[in-house]
Amino acid sequence: MTVIQHSRKLTYSIQKYGISYLFISVPLLSLIVFLFIPMIVSLWWSLNDYSGLTAAKFVGLNNYIKLLTDDKIFAKSLLNTTLFVLLGMSIGPTLGLLTAMMLNQKVRFSSLFRTAYYLPVMTSLVVVSTIWLMLYNRNGLFNVVLQEFGLPKVGWLSNPDIALISIVFASVWQGFGFETVVFLAALQSIPRELYEAAMMDGAGAWAQFRYITLPALRPVILFVYIIGIIGSYQVFDQIFVMSSGGPVYSTSTIVYYLFDKFMDLRLGYASAIAYILFAILVIFSYLQMRISRERA
Amino acid sequence: MYKKVLFSLGIILGLLLSSCGGATTEPAATEAPIITEEAAEPVTITVWDYYGEATPVKPLIEPFQALHPNITINYESIDWDTTLEKLNVVLTGGEPPDVVTVDMTWIPKFAALGAFADLLPLSDGKLNGIPWGEAYTAGGLKAITYNDQIISALYDFDVYALYYRNDLFEQKGIQVPTNWDELMTAAKALEEGELYKYEFDADTFHGSQWIYENGGTLLSTDNTKVVFNSPEAVEAITFNDSLLVNSVAINWTEDEGERIQGVKDGRIAMFSDGPYYMGIMKSAAPEMAGQWRVALHPYNKQPGSYLGGTGLAIPVGSDQQEAAWLFIQYAMELENQVNVYKLAGAAPALKEALSSPEVNVEDPYFGGQKAFSIFLQSMETAIPFPYVRQWSDIDDAFTNAMQQIALAELSVQEALDQAAATAQEALDQ
Repeated sequence: MTVIQHSRKLTYSIQKYGISYLFISVPLLSLIVFLFIPMIVSLWWSLNDYSGLTAAKFVGLNNYIKLLTDDKIFAKSLLNTTLFVLLGMSIGPTLGLLTAMMLNQKVRFSSLFRTAYYLPVMTSLVVVSTIWLMLYNRNGLFNVVLQEFGLPKVGWLSNPDIALISIVFASVWQGFGFETVVFLAALQSIPRELYEAAMMDGAGAWAQFRYITLPALRPVILFVYIIGIIGSYQVFDQIFVMSSGGPVYSTSTIVYYLFDKFMDLRLGYASAIAYILFAILVIFSYLQMRISRERA
Repeated sequence: MYKKVLFSLGIILGLLLSSCGGATTEPAATEAPIITEEAAEPVTITVWDYYGEATPVKPLIEPFQALHPNITINYESIDWDTTLEKLNVVLTGGEPPDVVTVDMTWIPKFAALGAFADLLPLSDGKLNGIPWGEAYTAGGLKAITYNDQIISALYDFDVYALYYRNDLFEQKGIQVPTNWDELMTAAKALEEGELYKYEFDADTFHGSQWIYENGGTLLSTDNTKVVFNSPEAVEAITFNDSLLVNSVAINWTEDEGERIQGVKDGRIAMFSDGPYYMGIMKSAAPEMAGQWRVALHPYNKQPGSYLGGTGLAIPVGSDQQEAAWLFIQYAMELENQVNVYKLAGAAPALKEALSSPEVNVEDPYFGGQKAFSIFLQSMETAIPFPYVRQWSDIDDAFTNAMQQIALAELSVQEALDQAAATAQEALDQ
């Protein structure tokens, strides 16, 4: 192909798609300015000892090495975050699916239930966390109920063995409405004929669920888990409001630790934490994609 | 789908990282001329104030602008948490305010990083004509001095004293404790099941107080060695912990709620805190007027307290440092310092203001007691937290140890030894 042909093709392309390029240029520019450039800058910072106030000092991979080999609080935060993800993603989607299946039946006031379950999702996490902080109070509702049954009070957020679990429950309560709505939409798109045919073949409720509902929901389940895991790994608001990472770092999470380092003006170290989190999310997403493809 | 996932991951990371974003400009030079006369050109200075509704800063604006017609003040009221967050952002890459209220607990980090302008050259060594060293107590001066620089003007101070339920003390015939043995005796006589306890706080503010009261410190005098696991410190924290072990103290954790709830429902009958808490009690528990008093916190070897408060600082990146200093100096005039007490209920930091009759009034809420004199007494021996870059690591390690001790996860010696090792490692870097 000659240069003239190339030039003609380019001119034709601009004439035909010029307005489209113009439209995409605005979001593209904002992506470059607000996403890609900060990402590159942060990558550079992660290789430096940098406070933002004094000159950056290049330290190579030292921030990463320290985080992965020597920083016990980061290791604890990583473990806590993983536990948060495992617990949250075990309970949340299951609860969401069960609720969706319940709402998919012809029950009265189903739209009311749908709205009610989705309300916490629309409520600010800070507000939800503040409400749960009151519920978990030493003299809060849960402990009052326990005492009514003659049981001792529980330090829901002051006992390091259960503080993280307490926060998981609050988070699941806030978030499972989203999963419910997504699953419900997917359930309603499954053709009724499939169930009718299965019934005619003598399939029971479990067989219908196992061989029709679950396979039909597979892409949605994958979506819910990817979104859920990405979101859960970034848990911050609940920790910030309810526990500040304590007691004894039992609720410190990756993003909370990142925030802590940012507030201490250790921008290089905080950037390295952000990149490690990014790597974790990429790995998880890749694994899930592989699993999904293999099963398809 | 795969690309979409990566793309969404990229967006999320970008959002995450953008919080760390900002220009990488270096701060301006710290040198500033001595202020001798009014600025010729009209200038605008931005003032950040975290005091909230009862601010003593905002009422200064109008009379200051009348005195200095060439200076306009752009006033912003920002809460305490947000001020710290915004300050982090603007100091590293934005346009900083010209004057900012700073909590003295923030100072170690900012001072070590050279974030604030040296007020000595700006002031020609004097605050409203009085040498800095004479304007403040020794502790107050130490709190604002870093590497022979004055990095903020201490506006109100915070030192700890003992708040106690005087009505219960009188009812039960308990003497106000002056030393630790008496404190234990008083606490035992006071508590009734879940009621009337001493508040145990697993944090550095309170933990350091016990250590200071036993002749210990957190770091060595040259700030190179962690010594909060010294025999004096271990003995101090062991006593502090014994209040919990003997069930005469309540471990005040997140799920206990705000302290004022415990004050009102009787769970707390004694606690240690600064003068600012008098204002909180008056507004949140007016029905308890007359029941509480303040005393010097009981000690073993010597009185002790952390020393903090609010400073007025000029970020080093401010390009209106002269006008900013004029505003700070105006805020530090005697009448305006007295208003720190009158308007905010806080303790003014200048010696002259502290000893003024308007501040040293008999307080009916505290049974006619001149409560500020107690805090002034506490200030004489109070110590600011060490000004080292690694302060937050040290603070975290010590707080974690205090939590482990409160939860009986480790012995006092083990917890402090482990924390000291962690803190020392950070300090050595």
